[in-house]
Amino acid sequence: MAANPFRQTVSRNVRDLFRLWALYARMDLNWLLQDLSSVIIVVISETLQNLSSMAGVLLLAVRFGGVGGLSADEVLFMLGFYELASGIGWVLFGNYNVIHISRRIGRGQVDHMLIQPRPLWMQLATEGFMPVSGSFGMLIGAALTGVAVSRLHLALTPVWFLLLGYYLLIHMALQLSQSLLYGSMAFWRPVACEEISSMIIDLNNQLGKFPLFGLPTWLTTLLHTVLPIGLLAYLPAVALLRELGKPVTIALPLIVACGFVTAAIICFQKGLRHYEEYSCNRYKEMGHRN
Amino acid sequence: MKNTAATATKKWDTVIELSGVTKYFDQKRPVGLLKREKHRVHALSDVSFTLQKGEFAAYAGPNGAGKSTTFKLLSGMLRPQEGSVRLFGMDPSQHRIPVMRRTGVLFGNRSELWWDHPVRASFEWKKAVWDIDDATYLRICDEMRELLGIGDFWNSFARELSLGQRMRANLALTLLHDPELVLLDEPTLGLDVLAKRQMIDFLKKINREKQVTLLVTSHDMDDLTEMANRILLINSGRLAFDGDYQQLIQMAGDNRIIKLRLRGDAPALAGASYLGEEDGKHLYRYDASTTSAQQIFGAISGVEHVQDVELVHEAIEQVIARLYQAWRKEA
Repeated sequence: MAANPFRQTVSRNVRDLFRLWALYARMDLNWLLQDLSSVIIVVISETLQNLSSMAGVLLLAVRFGGVGGLSADEVLFMLGFYELASGIGWVLFGNYNVIHISRRIGRGQVDHMLIQPRPLWMQLATEGFMPVSGSFGMLIGAALTGVAVSRLHLALTPVWFLLLGYYLLIHMALQLSQSLLYGSMAFWRPVACEEISSMIIDLNNQLGKFPLFGLPTWLTTLLHTVLPIGLLAYLPAVALLRELGKPVTIALPLIVACGFVTAAIICFQKGLRHYEEYSCNRYKEMGHRN
Repeated sequence: MKNTAATATKKWDTVIELSGVTKYFDQKRPVGLLKREKHRVHALSDVSFTLQKGEFAAYAGPNGAGKSTTFKLLSGMLRPQEGSVRLFGMDPSQHRIPVMRRTGVLFGNRSELWWDHPVRASFEWKKAVWDIDDATYLRICDEMRELLGIGDFWNSFARELSLGQRMRANLALTLLHDPELVLLDEPTLGLDVLAKRQMIDFLKKINREKQVTLLVTSHDMDDLTEMANRILLINSGRLAFDGDYQQLIQMAGDNRIIKLRLRGDAPALAGASYLGEEDGKHLYRYDASTTSAQQIFGAISGVEHVQDVELVHEAIEQVIARLYQAWRKEA
């Protein structure tokens, strides 16, 4: 019986993905092990950065016995979830400016990608992999989530874990798609938009850790759709702690994430077509970087 | 016939084929505080040429002539507005992956080395990404160590390399997958005499022994004429010359330079034009196809206080500079 070409392509792509992940994992480990003092500095600075980024909200919640409709332990869970989700995203896409894609585009580094005999999606899916040096945020997030879960005495069922995985995926899809969507602007304005992906991620990191209960309806709606910071940790925390399996808490994140992912793919492809017309050269309006 | 990766034969003799390629960039330029004016920059206009397997061609031209645009078109990074670009019979922007498996691209102002890793890590990376088998990898690495001397800095970090070492490492990396076509944009940029010599010898060797097709740009015409057996000159986006060194000399005029050392002012020499003074010598140029050496020496014999006379071929660098100057005047 003749082999199915589609299945062959899929199995070849899966094999290549794992080979490339292994390659970038090795490179990441080698980079980290260049010298011990670097490792120590990286560990300390990553830990401090991750803890300090959530200290403000947590201290407020502890001082006032909760904030934004969540108790102190629920806030701890929400912050832990955010760290865990963004930490996994960082492990998968954090290296070599994959998640900060506008830097690559704005600096004319797409040229380096175009001379590789690999599909661009495969390059983007693998080059950012940093399972060793980028894992501190994820580990801190997992630890905080674990502490919060034990303090809240949650009943951890398979459905709960399934939904936890679902919200983690939604978080990563939203972060990555927003980075790609707004970062695609760098195809048209390389210098002006070089840092736009970083700005979007910073914005999410700052606002995504606040409980949103009690805000006006229009603002809550806005923060769960157009600027979906509420879907990054707040809604998942409420869903996993209080409203497990409620249809709206499952459907809304999926719809919004699908919208952002679709928009990101369309804009990135449109940007690539523009790049094939203009590249990143000196004739570019508003300058270029090489 | 429809152009697909499948229709491109493995034994394609025409490696590069550009037919009537036109590439322009539209932009808006400020002409006042708020007003913008549309402007079209013509990078390439109706450029056509082919390169056969095993050819070694130099691609030269003044700044802004369209060299980098051509290389980006060949690498599939850009698409032309008119005309077609084919590598191994395939459109590189449509069939990027099969084309890149057979092509090595190196831009002199860019590096493919991983900056914060040892040089060997970049080679291991390329082995995995290009899916190079172990035997080919080891063979090419051995060749590169021997011919380009990369073994000396194999375990050094890319960021620590000198410019010459970096260029050699980049060239070795470009050739690691044993490409049939190599596109090199300014490969001798910033190299010292020894490094340049190594680079040129190496490129000639792979062209001669492996029949690798090479298209090389450089601002150093002496390097290009030494390396390449064919010269493509581009000016203002148009192909101004396509031929060998001898044909180029014929087109530009078979000129000789006379260097005259004497006491006093530069005299007029019948049949020769005065160029200026350099290192205490007066320089003249004459066209050997219309004026004989006998006529020139006859004119010199009438000059008083001559201390020394030197007669040399006009350097290719000067020939090209003269051509560029003439083109600029025409423009």
